[in-house]
Amino acid sequence: MNFLLPNSGNGRQRILQLQLLALLPVSIAALVNTGYQYLVAVAQNSALSTDDFRSRLARGLGASHESLGLFDMLAAGFAHLVPILALALLVGGFWERIIAERRQSPMEPGFMLVALLFTLLLPGAAAFGHVVFGMSFAMLFGRGIFGGDGKTFLSPALLGIAIVQVSFPGVADQHPLWSGLTGYAGSDAIAVYHRGGEAALSAIDIDLWSAFIGSTPGTMGTTSILAVLLGAALLLIERLIAWRLLIAQIIGLFVFATLFNLLGTGPGASAMPAYWHLLLGSFAFGAVFLACDPVASACTNPGRWIQGFLIAALVVLIRVANPTHPDAVIPALLLASILAPLIDHLVIAWNIRGRARRHV
Amino acid sequence: MSVSPGLETKYVSRAALLGPDYRGVNFELLCELGDEVKSGAAVMRDLRRPEIRFSAPVSGRISRIERGARRKLISLQIDVDDSLAVAEFQPPASNDSVSIRNFMLESGAWSSLRTRPFGNIPDPDGKPAAVFVTALDAEPLAPDTRTIIDTYLQEFRAAVNALTGISDAPLYVCHAPDHALVFEDSSRIRCVTFNGGYSVSLPGVHINTLCPIGLGGGEVWHIGYQDVIALGHLLLHGKPWLQRVISLGGNAVRNSRSLAVYPGSAIGELLANEVDDGPSRILAGSSIYGRQLATGSAYLAAGQRQVTVLGASASDLAGTTASTNNAVIPSETLEKLILPGIFPVPFMRALQLGDAERARELGALELVEEDVMPLSRACVSHSDYAILLRDVLDQLEGAR
Repeated sequence: MNFLLPNSGNGRQRILQLQLLALLPVSIAALVNTGYQYLVAVAQNSALSTDDFRSRLARGLGASHESLGLFDMLAAGFAHLVPILALALLVGGFWERIIAERRQSPMEPGFMLVALLFTLLLPGAAAFGHVVFGMSFAMLFGRGIFGGDGKTFLSPALLGIAIVQVSFPGVADQHPLWSGLTGYAGSDAIAVYHRGGEAALSAIDIDLWSAFIGSTPGTMGTTSILAVLLGAALLLIERLIAWRLLIAQIIGLFVFATLFNLLGTGPGASAMPAYWHLLLGSFAFGAVFLACDPVASACTNPGRWIQGFLIAALVVLIRVANPTHPDAVIPALLLASILAPLIDHLVIAWNIRGRARRHV
Repeated sequence: MSVSPGLETKYVSRAALLGPDYRGVNFELLCELGDEVKSGAAVMRDLRRPEIRFSAPVSGRISRIERGARRKLISLQIDVDDSLAVAEFQPPASNDSVSIRNFMLESGAWSSLRTRPFGNIPDPDGKPAAVFVTALDAEPLAPDTRTIIDTYLQEFRAAVNALTGISDAPLYVCHAPDHALVFEDSSRIRCVTFNGGYSVSLPGVHINTLCPIGLGGGEVWHIGYQDVIALGHLLLHGKPWLQRVISLGGNAVRNSRSLAVYPGSAIGELLANEVDDGPSRILAGSSIYGRQLATGSAYLAAGQRQVTVLGASASDLAGTTASTNNAVIPSETLEKLILPGIFPVPFMRALQLGDAERARELGALELVEEDVMPLSRACVSHSDYAILLRDVLDQLEGAR
């Protein structure tokens, strides 16, 4: 399959190019939706301060909440996404440079993917200090100490976002910028469902379609399921991600969500139907771009099935049982990713025993 | 000389026996430079196991004996002279193990048997746990096995019947689903159908499926269908089969087709006037499992069924930039390229680390270089898994 990019000779570079290309639809959706959410928030809440750097940049680029056209959204989205991405790239490049010099090896371009994934997992209003902190952690403890591209044990971006979430609770699921939205009380859409079910969602104009195309509040890159699907299609066609892992997560999500629907009592997330689990929060994004990180996931086919089901079970369980983590995708992926080598170990041990029985 | 109907023949003026085709053999020459040899006559034998003989692929005059490092034999080249007679052999009177083995050893046919693990020539008194006849070829652009076997059906049957005699072990005939093979004495012969992708004609797949190998010392033998026909020819006619059918293919070949050629033919001569101008890569074998040949004086290897010539861009030939990072990046592609039942990524990592024990547990003993060829091409680490696998196999062989 060479129809999208010429083979650049080095397979590693080609894989990186394809991974970045797969994130393009998500990035575009992030630009548009972040701008849209910001402009709506400004329009609805006149008390919202628009004196920060990003608001001034958005105004300087010509974004206006009165016309609310595509250009306004793109400009406002640009003002939120690009500074974070630029900072993440800068920090990532800085650490990559330091590591490469210490190791006396050439710099590896993989930090760009880490920076982009990390940015897309942040809310548009993320503090720059958090970006520096999370990206540094991702580069050093997610990537550098393991030896760089292809040798990581966890997805570096996942580790970076997890440490930001743990250190600054709420940074990724609370959006101070958008708390002025009617009915959107500063937490993510799953928390809204927690409180009031589908009625509460429709009160803030979230329906199946808007959740699918991604015009809902949330972390920048994760709202549009449509864009995630486009990226997933590319990665699957190019055989860069394991379809078993992806399918297992989706099947698992439906199985476990339905299980909780049957067992559950009361309105909360236990009553949330599986399709809302899929559409709200960052499950779809995480399932494709973080869980299926080829290096940091199980590397045997049975292991992939097991890990996929494990992720889905953890996501649903944490969403239902722990309201302080309404989204639950990051901790679930982190846990499953840490367990991936163990899963592989057991699968391989089982395979070896099976072979040994048939030996001549 | 019998020629397959419908097959073009292409006879070259020079053929060779290649030393590297016979792993672990120290050759003792039974002839000298300039000698005239008959096709089928023994020209070399194994120093360690002198019963194992290697016969001349063609009749002619020995023109060159090429040696490499530590005087290891690289090739024994023969200038073809068709006017010379061929060697004749007396077919065995009975079908018992001793006489069949002696006949195969004397006629040189024994050297076309290979063992797994390790891919050696089996010991003359070895006891296989099973014998595999590979009677299908699913590699891209392979010659049509069905036509060839059906043309030489008598020879094929005679040889398979004889092979049942060489040991008490089951004899598996692995064939394609649309090519049912019928044998008179079917009690000893187990016909197994293999169906699937390009890999199903690898002996490694058959062995892995039917008779996986442990460290207990067991070994299985396998032989390709053309070598079986050659053995049948010896049995029925008392003379060596002077041809092999190969296919010439690839995007740089003007007219892809099957050819009947001498065993061990000079590839340079075979490709004369066949290949487009411009840079190209020549592979011994198919585009997937083939091994790249250095241009120049290459010869058909033992058991080789294809010559593939691929047009190459300048960047292909220049090779890829060396990287210090040799990490394996798992992908779905790798899953398709390894034998079914083996986990590619753990296996590749074990090979990279030279972890012979883990590689053995994961199935290394059923494999030889050809089985891992596609991994080297697909993996971003640019590791040569054929070399890594052989290192691991050497360790395991030494420990055995």
